Amino acid sequence: MSALSYAYFPGCVAQGACQELYLSTAALAQALDIELIELKKAACCGSGTYKEDSQLLEDTVNARNIALAESLNLPLLTHCSTCQGVIGHVDERLKTAQENDPAYVEQINTLLKKEGGCSPYQGTGEVTHLLWVLVGKYGLDRVKEKVTRSLSGLKCAAFYGCYLLRAQDTLPHDDPFNPTSMEQVFETVGATPILYPGRTQCCGWPISSYAPKESFSLAGKHIQAAIAAGADCLVTPCPLCHLNLDSRQPEVEKVIGQSLGLPILHLPQLVALALGVEPQKLGLDKHVVSTRSVLAKL
Amino acid sequence: MKVSFKVYRQQPQEAPRIATYLLDVEPGNTILECLNRIKWELDGTLAFRKNCRNTICGSCGMKINHRSALACKENVGQEIERFPTDSGTGIPEITIAPMGNMPVVKDLVVDMTSFWDNLEAVDPYVSTKGRKIPEKEFLQTPEARSQLEKSGNCILCGACYSECNAREVNPNFVGPHALAKAQRLVNDDRDTETEARLEKYHEGIQGTWGCTRCYLCNAVCPMGVAPMDRIGEIKQDLLDRKPAHDSRSVRHRKVLIDLVKDGGWIDERKFGLMVMGDYFRDLRGLLEIAPLGLRMLTRGKFPMFFEPSQGTSEVRSLIESVQNLDNQSSQ
Repeated sequence: MSALSYAYFPGCVAQGACQELYLSTAALAQALDIELIELKKAACCGSGTYKEDSQLLEDTVNARNIALAESLNLPLLTHCSTCQGVIGHVDERLKTAQENDPAYVEQINTLLKKEGGCSPYQGTGEVTHLLWVLVGKYGLDRVKEKVTRSLSGLKCAAFYGCYLLRAQDTLPHDDPFNPTSMEQVFETVGATPILYPGRTQCCGWPISSYAPKESFSLAGKHIQAAIAAGADCLVTPCPLCHLNLDSRQPEVEKVIGQSLGLPILHLPQLVALALGVEPQKLGLDKHVVSTRSVLAKL
Repeated sequence: MKVSFKVYRQQPQEAPRIATYLLDVEPGNTILECLNRIKWELDGTLAFRKNCRNTICGSCGMKINHRSALACKENVGQEIERFPTDSGTGIPEITIAPMGNMPVVKDLVVDMTSFWDNLEAVDPYVSTKGRKIPEKEFLQTPEARSQLEKSGNCILCGACYSECNAREVNPNFVGPHALAKAQRLVNDDRDTETEARLEKYHEGIQGTWGCTRCYLCNAVCPMGVAPMDRIGEIKQDLLDRKPAHDSRSVRHRKVLIDLVKDGGWIDERKFGLMVMGDYFRDLRGLLEIAPLGLRMLTRGKFPMFFEPSQGTSEVRSLIESVQNLDNQSSQ
C-alpha cells in the first residue's frame, strides 16, 4: 500500500490545453509511490470567476468538490495554483462558518443533499497542492533520495501564481511575500534557483481574453526579468500561468517587441525529470516554447 | 538588539542608492520609530512621510521588506521573523523602500498625484443632486451602514495602489483604492446615481474589468478593506445587469459558468470560440485566436477530445438551484 494517498482534483486545464501537466503529475506520483484517486465526479473550481457572479455559487460547487474527497477520507490534492487558492479558501471560509455562521453551511449542505449527489460538507478534510506535499508530508529529503538525474547546471526561476500565495488566509510552508518552497525543490533536484522580482506576481492570464496588450505586457515583463537574472527556464505550479507564459509567448514577444524563447516547465515535469522519468512521458514536446534547451543541459 | 536598516535613498530622476543605518532597537519598536531615530540621531536628510503613529492617518506607507505596509503598524521583531536576512554578518537586516507605481519625490516620499486623481475619477462622493437636502444629515439605518463597513475603513494610505499589478501595465486603471470607494458608493442607500456609476465603472479596462485578480491589494491592505473583494462585488452587480453579448469581459464569466453546467469541467475549445468569437458572431475575435489554435495543433497541445465530469448532471442542478436562489434574493 502506498504511504500517501490523495483525492486528486485534476482541474480543467490539465485535462485540456495543458495535458502535459496531467501526464507529468501521474508520472511523478508513480515515481514517488503516491497514490492518486481521481475525483471523476468533481467540477471546475471556477478559477475565481464564480465568486464574481455569486459567493454562494463558489462555495457550493467547491463544497461539493471537497465533500467528494471527504467521502474517500482523503486529502484533496490540486496541482494548479488557482484551483488550490479557490478550493483551499472555500474550505477555510466554510470551516470558519461552521463556528460563526452554521446556517450558511446548512444552506450549502441542503443544496448538496438535494442536488449535489454527494455527502454533506463536513470540514474534516485538507486541501493541499502538489508543491506543499513535496515540501511537507512527502518531504524533500525523501525526494532527494530518489533523484537519479541531478539537474545540476540548470538555472530555474519560479513563477508561483497569485492564488497559491495570496488567496488563502494561511499558508502551510511559505510567507506569501517571501516564498521559498519552489526554490527548495530546485535545490533538492540539483538545479540552481534564480531569484527575480516577478516570481510572486501576476502572469496576466485573467484579463488575457479582453485586455491582451496589458495581459501580455505583464507576462513579458516577468519573462524578461527572469532572463536578465540568468534563468534557463521558468517553472510554475500553475497551468493558467503556463498558458499565458508559454502558449501565448509568441504574442507576448510581439507586445514587448523582443524575442524571448524561455521554456516554461510545469513543477511535476521538473521533479520527474530528476527522478529519471523520460521526457516524452512528461509531455515536454507539447510546449509552445521548445524545451530542448532545458533537456540539452541535463 | 542591533538591526541594520537598508534604506533606499533617491532624488527625482536619479537611480536609487541604498544607505545602511545600524540601530540598537527593541523587537517591539515600530519601523516608524526606527526611521525617526535614524533621522534624529544619524541622518537628518532622510525624507519620509508620517503623522499619527497609530494606523489612522495612512501617511507612512512604504515598502518594508519588499511589500507595502504602514511603518507605524509593523515592528522590528515581526519583520525579522518573517524575512530573516543578515548578509552573513549575524546582524538582521530590514529593507525600506518607497512605494511602487508612483514616482519618487525624495527617498521614501512618493508623488501621489495619480493616486488622488484616480480616486476623484470615480466620483467618490454620495450624490445629492436631485434630492431635497434635509435639514440635518442624511439618515441611514445601522443595517444599511453595515454594508459599507469594509470599504469605509480605507485610510487611503496607498499600499494597495503601490502593489497593484494592473497599474504596472495599464496607466488608465484607476486602482484598487478608487474601486473600493466606488463599491462603497454603489452600496450606499443614500446615493441616487447607482446605475450611472455602474455604467461608468463598467467602461473599458480603466475600471472594474482592469483588475487582474492578483490579490496583492487584499494581501497588503492594513485595514482589512480587501479591495479585490470589493471590486468583485461591483462585478456581481454588473453581471446581474449585462448580457453575455455585451463585452468579452462579461462573456468570459458567463460562458465559464454555462460550460461548467454543460460538462462539469470547461471545454476549452468552446471557451475560446464563445468568449473570443461571441458565439461565432465576432469574426475578428475568431481570427484573433486562430494563430493560438494552429500553434497548439502543431505542438500536439490542442485538446482533440473533451471528457465531461461524471458528475455533470448533479453539478448542473446544483448551479441552477444556486442561480434560482440568487435571482430570488436579488428581486
